[in-house]
Amino acid sequence: MDDLPPGKGRSDYRIGEITRLTGLSADTLRYYEKIRLLPQIGRTAAGTRLYGERDLTHLRFILRAKAMNFSLDEIARLLEMRGDPQHARDEVRELTQQKLQEVERHLVDLETLHRELTLLVNLCRGASDGCPIIDDLKKGTDLFFGSREK
Amino acid sequence: MPPIQVELFSAPNCRRCGKAKILLEAVVSLWPESEICWRVVDVVEELDHAVQIGVLATPAIAVDGQLVFTAIPAEERLRDVLRQHVEQARTIPE
Repeated sequence: MDDLPPGKGRSDYRIGEITRLTGLSADTLRYYEKIRLLPQIGRTAAGTRLYGERDLTHLRFILRAKAMNFSLDEIARLLEMRGDPQHARDEVRELTQQKLQEVERHLVDLETLHRELTLLVNLCRGASDGCPIIDDLKKGTDLFFGSREK
Repeated sequence: MPPIQVELFSAPNCRRCGKAKILLEAVVSLWPESEICWRVVDVVEELDHAVQIGVLATPAIAVDGQLVFTAIPAEERLRDVLRQHVEQARTIPE
C-alpha cells in the first residue's frame, strides 16, 4: 500500500539521509517503525534500512502533525485515514474532522500573529530614531533581568 | 445621524504620522463634529485593535472600522472619501 509506482522517486534513502532530511534521530525513526507509525521499512540483504519517497512524505506528515501537538496515537489514526480515506473507520473520520477544525483555529491564530509581527517589523522600519518596539521590549527585559549597561 | 468615526493609526517615532495628523485635522475641520468624529490610535497601545482593522504599517486611516488608506493620502482624495462616508451616513435614518 505504501509503495509508489515504479519510477516515482527514490527508494534507497539510508537512515542517515533521512535523519538529515527530517531532523529526526535514527532512534526515533526506528521507534516509529516499531510502533507501526511507519510501515515496515525495506531492507538490503545486509539488513540496512532503505527508505522510499513515500516514507519521507509519511514522516513529513508526522512532523507537521507533531508540530500541531497531536499525539502519536492520533497521528497513527490520521495516517490510517491518509492511507485509505474512502474506507476509514467512522471514529478515524471523526478524529480527522476534529483535527481539521483544530488546524483551522490554529491558522486564524497564526494569521493574527503574522499581522501583528508584520506591523511590529514595519514600525521599526518607519522609525526615525531607533526602534520603539525593541526599545520597549528591552526596557521590559531590563526590568526582569536588570540592565548590564552602565 | 451618528457621526462617522475616523481613526488615524500612528506610532511613537513614526516619521510620517505627524504630517498625516496635520492633514487629517485640516480635512476633518471641513465638517462639524456632529458629522465626523476622529481620534489618533497609538498602535503600540492598541495593537489588537490595529491588527483587527488590518493595519500593517503607520500611518494608516480607517473610517467606521474599515481600513481606507495605508499611507498618507492626497488631500483631495481624503476629502472625497470622507465626503462619501458623510453623505452615506446622512441617508441612514436615525
